[in-house]
Amino acid sequence: MMNKSTRYLAALAAVPLLALTACAGGGGGDDASASGEITYWLWDSNQQVAYQQCATDFEAANDGASVKIEQYGYDDYFQTLTTSLVGGNAPDVITNHPSFFPQLASTGQLLGLDDVVESEGIDFDDYQAGIPELWVGEDGVRYGLPKDWDTVATIYNAGYLAEAGLTPESLQNLEWNPEDGGTWEDTIAHLSVDVNGVRGDEPGYDAKNVEVYGLGLKSKSGIGAFGQTQWSMYALSTGWEYADKNPFGTDFNYADDEYIDTIAWWRSLTEKGFMPSYQAASSGVGIKDAYGAGSYALVTDGSWNARSYYGFTGIESGIAPLPIGPSGERVGILNGLADSVLASSENPELSKKWVAYLASADCQDVVAEAAVVFPALNSSSEKAREAFSAAGLDVSVYYDAVAAGETELAPIANHWVDVLAIMEPAVESVLIFEAEPESLKEAAAEVDKLFAND
Amino acid sequence: MTLTTAAPELASTTEPSPPKKAPRRKKPRLTVGRFFAWAALVAVMLITLIPFYWMLRTSFSTSTSLGSDPGSPFPVDFTLGAYERVLGLATPAEALAEGGSGASINFWAYLRNSLIVATVTTIGQVLFCSMAAYAFARLQWKGRDLVFSSFIAALMVPPIFTTIPNFVTIRELGLLNTYAGIILPTLLMTPFAVFFLRQFFLGISREVEEAAIIDGAGPIRRFFQVILPLGSAPIATLAILTYITSWNEYFWPQLVGREEDVRVLTVALGVFRSQTPQGGPDWAGLMAATLIAALPILILFLFMGRRVINSIGYSGTK
Amino acid sequence: MTAPTTTRPKAGRAQPSGLVPPRKPLITLKRREALAAWGFVLPALLGFLAFFVWPALSGLYYSFTDFDLLTAPEFIGLDNYTRLAADPLFWNAIGTTSYYVAINIGLQTVLALGIAVLMHRLTQSMVIRGIVMLPYLIANVIAALVWFYMFDFQFGIVNEVINAIGLDRVAFFGESDWAIPTVALINVWRHMGYTALLIFAGLQTIPKEVYEAGAIDGGSELRMFRSITLPLLRPVLAMVLVVTVTGSFQLFDTIAVTTQGGPVNSTRVINYYIFDMAFNRFDFGYGSAMALALFVLLAAFTFIQLRLTRANKSDLG
Repeated sequence: MMNKSTRYLAALAAVPLLALTACAGGGGGDDASASGEITYWLWDSNQQVAYQQCATDFEAANDGASVKIEQYGYDDYFQTLTTSLVGGNAPDVITNHPSFFPQLASTGQLLGLDDVVESEGIDFDDYQAGIPELWVGEDGVRYGLPKDWDTVATIYNAGYLAEAGLTPESLQNLEWNPEDGGTWEDTIAHLSVDVNGVRGDEPGYDAKNVEVYGLGLKSKSGIGAFGQTQWSMYALSTGWEYADKNPFGTDFNYADDEYIDTIAWWRSLTEKGFMPSYQAASSGVGIKDAYGAGSYALVTDGSWNARSYYGFTGIESGIAPLPIGPSGERVGILNGLADSVLASSENPELSKKWVAYLASADCQDVVAEAAVVFPALNSSSEKAREAFSAAGLDVSVYYDAVAAGETELAPIANHWVDVLAIMEPAVESVLIFEAEPESLKEAAAEVDKLFAND
Repeated sequence: MTLTTAAPELASTTEPSPPKKAPRRKKPRLTVGRFFAWAALVAVMLITLIPFYWMLRTSFSTSTSLGSDPGSPFPVDFTLGAYERVLGLATPAEALAEGGSGASINFWAYLRNSLIVATVTTIGQVLFCSMAAYAFARLQWKGRDLVFSSFIAALMVPPIFTTIPNFVTIRELGLLNTYAGIILPTLLMTPFAVFFLRQFFLGISREVEEAAIIDGAGPIRRFFQVILPLGSAPIATLAILTYITSWNEYFWPQLVGREEDVRVLTVALGVFRSQTPQGGPDWAGLMAATLIAALPILILFLFMGRRVINSIGYSGTK
Repeated sequence: MTAPTTTRPKAGRAQPSGLVPPRKPLITLKRREALAAWGFVLPALLGFLAFFVWPALSGLYYSFTDFDLLTAPEFIGLDNYTRLAADPLFWNAIGTTSYYVAINIGLQTVLALGIAVLMHRLTQSMVIRGIVMLPYLIANVIAALVWFYMFDFQFGIVNEVINAIGLDRVAFFGESDWAIPTVALINVWRHMGYTALLIFAGLQTIPKEVYEAGAIDGGSELRMFRSITLPLLRPVLAMVLVVTVTGSFQLFDTIAVTTQGGPVNSTRVINYYIFDMAFNRFDFGYGSAMALALFVLLAAFTFIQLRLTRANKSDLG
C-alpha cells in the first residue's frame, strides 16, 4: 500500500536527534507492571472495529491497562506521525508499513522487539512465510511483529465478462509480454466497449469515447517507484527486479529496458482506449468508485481492498489470477503490515505486551472474523479465508498465488521515501504524455545519486 | 439600525444606507432587458444552490449504489443510513452494508470541539478587541498612534509567515493538541477586528460620553455603560463574522489539533475523506457529515441572516 | 484603508468639574485616562506581541537559519535565499499561484460586480442576498469536497451533464491545464456572493438622485453603469480587490483536499509548498525564507495596486 504522502516521511531524516534527546528518559524497563494507558494508531477504518474488539479483550485480560485507538486516514498517516514525533506527543504503538519502517528504525524511532519474541515464545514458522522477515532492520534487530499479509490479483466484473462471451476460467491462464501485450491485452481489448457498443478488438473502435475500459487505473499510490497494484505484476514477470537485492538494495534498476518497456506498454493502453487516461483516473474519487460505477471490467488490486469491490449495487465481482509474464511465471507483490512500538513510548512494557497480543491468535482470530484482511498467523489466516467465504467472497486466488510461490516481497530500502518522491512525478509525466518513457532514465540517475554516498 | 448613527464621522462615500424599504417610484415595467437581468440572477442563484442540493441528494443515497445511477437528480437507493453512520446510530454491520467503514465516528466530539473553539475564540477576540478599539478611538494616551499603526501594519502580513513560528511557540509551550493551542493565536486580537471596531467607536457621539464624564464615570464605566451599548451592532457583526471564520478554519487546527480529543469538524472531514487506503471514501456519509458540519452556521444564518448580510457590507466598506 | 486622523482633544474636556481636586487636575485626569487606556489595550497588545510581532521577528530570523524544529536554529546566512532563487519549484509555485489569483480575482470580481449591480437595480430582497452569500458560510474544505465529487471524471454530475449534451468529459483535476482553473472556479463559487455583497454595500452609497438624473437624461442601464456606477464605485472596488487578492494568495484548503499539488506540480501553489516544506519536511528555515519572499511580493503588489486604482479618491468628490 503506497501513497503519495509517503514522501513526507523524508522528513524523518530530520528526526534522528529526537531519538537521542527524547527517548533517553523513555525506555527504562524497570516497571514491569503492564498497566496504564497507551495509544495505538491505525489507518484503515475498515479494520478499526476488529482492533477495538482486540483492545477490549486485552483490557479485560490486563487489569489497569487501557488501549486508546486512533485512526488517521492513510493519506495523512505518516505525515501526522512525523508531526507527532517532532511535537513530542507520538502514540505508543503504531501500525507500520514495510516501506517506512527502515527510515523509522534507522533514525531510532522504534524499539527492538526481539525480547518480546523471546519472552512470548513467538515462533515465526507459525506465520505466513516471508512476512516476518520483512520486519528485521539492516542492523539485524526486529522492529515489528507481523499482523497481516496481502498480495495482488485481478478483480473482474462478472457481468461484463459474460457480455463479452468470456468465462472466469478464460482469465485463468492469460499471458502477457511488453511487445504486444499477449492474450492479456487481447482480453482487455475485448472487454473494452466504446459508446457505440463496439468492442476494443473490433474495427471502428472509438478509443476517445469509451463506455467501459477493459482495465482500471489507480492514480498516485506509489505509481512511480513501486507500482504495487499498477505495473509491478508486469515488470516483475519480465524478470526485472527493483534493486540489486531486497531488502536494503542500494542499486535500483529504473533505467533498465524491462522497466521502461513495461511502462511504455502500460501507457499505450490509454492511447488504445483500453485503460483510462491518467488525467481521468486522477480526476476523481478513485478506482473503486469508478469500478462501482461500471467503468471498468478488470482491475488489479490488493487483497486488502478486495472486499470493497463486492457489494456495489448491480455488480457481481470475482477474483482471477494475474497474467503470466515473459519469464513464464506470474509475480505478485507479497506484502504485510506489522505493529511497532515507538521508542518515545512512556510505557514500553505495556506497549510491548499489546504488540505481542496483536500478533497472537487471540487478536488475529478476531481480525480474521472481520474478513477485511488476511492475518499473518497461519491459523488465523485460514479462519479469515473461511470468513471471507461466508461473506460471499472466494479469496482462494490470493492464497493459491502465495502457496504456489508466485510472489515477491515488497521492496524495502533506505531512502525509499525519496525514491518515491523522485519516481512518482517522473512516471506521472510519462503517463500524461508530457514526457517519453526514455526520460525515466534521468529519474533513475537521480535515484542512484541518493545511494551514492552510502 | 443604530449603525446609521454610529458612523457619522466616516467619509460619506462608505456609508451604507439603512436597509429600510425605500418607496419605489413606480413598479418598473418588465422590459426585455429586465427579463434577461432576472434570468441572469436566477442562474446565479441556481449555481449557488445546486451544490447544496447535490450534497443533500448524495447524503440520502446508499454509498454502494451511487455509481449505478450517477446522473440521477434524486437520492439513489434512498436511505437515512449515512446520517445514522455519522451520528453513531448505526451498528458496524449496518454501516458496512451501506458502504460505510464500520469505524466509529466521534461526530459529537468533533462538534463539541468546534463549538468550544469557535465560541471561546469569538468571545475572547470580540471582548479584547473592543477594549483595544475603545482605547484607540476614545482615549488620549501617549503612544496610541504608534501602537495603532503597528496593529494595522500586521494586516499586511500573510498568515503563512507567522504560522511557522507560531507553531514553534505552541509546541514549546507544550500546547500541541490542546484547545489552548488552537485558540490562543486569535483569542486576544486580530488586526482586522481592532481596526473594524475602532472605526465604529470613532463615530459614536461624543456628547453621550461627555455626559458620563460629568457624572464622574471613569473610562472603565464609560466603556461598559456607554460604548458597549452604543456599539452593540458592530460588535454583534464582528462576533458573527469571527464565529463563521473560526468555525470554518482548517489550516491552523489541522497543524496543531489533529488528535481526536480536540479535532474540530473541518479537520475531521479531512481525515474522513481518506479513511480507507486507496479506497474511495464513503461519499454518502461524507456528504451527510459536511451538511451536519455546516448546520450550526446555517442555523445561525437563518436567525441572524439580515444582520449577517448587512454586516458583510459594513466589513468591506470600513 | 481610510487612514484615521487623530481625534482632536476637546478643549473643554479638562475643565475642572466639582469632582476633581483643583490642583493639577489636568495631569491627574490624563494620567488616569492613559493608565486605563493601557489597561484596555493590554490583552490585545499581548496577543499582538506574542502572535504577530514575535513570530514575524523569529520568522525573519529563521529564514537565515537551518532549522528542523528539533535542534536550535543554525545560522546559515543567505543560503536559504540563494536556494530559493535557484529552486524551480519555488518559481513554479509563484507562477501557479499568480495564475490562480489572476483567474480567481478576474472572474470573481466581474461576476460579483455583475451580481451586485443586478441586485441593486432589480431587488432589495434579503432572501436573494442570503442565497447568494450561502456558499461563504460553509468551510473551504466542504466546498472543495463537494466540488471534487461533482467534478469526478467517471460519475460526477458535471461530467454526466457534459456527456449528456454530447461533449467530451473533462478531467478537471487530472489535466494540468484544467487543475488550477478548476480550483479557482470552486473558490469563485464560494466567494462571489460575499464579494457581491461588499460591492452591493458600496452601490447603496451612491445617491439615488444620480441615477434618477441619469434616467431623466435618457441614459440606458449600460450607459449609467459605465458613467455612474463604475466611477463612483472605484474606492469600494479598490478596497475589495486588495482584500480578495491578499486572501486568494492564501490558497491552501482546496488544494489540500483535492489535488495535493498534482498532477505533477501543476497545483503546487506557494502556500501549499511552504506548508509542505515546513510541516512535512521540517525545513522551517527554508519555509520561512519562502514565506518572507511571499510577504515582500504581496506588499509590493498591494502598494502598486493601491497606486493604480487610486483608492483614496472617489469621483464623487
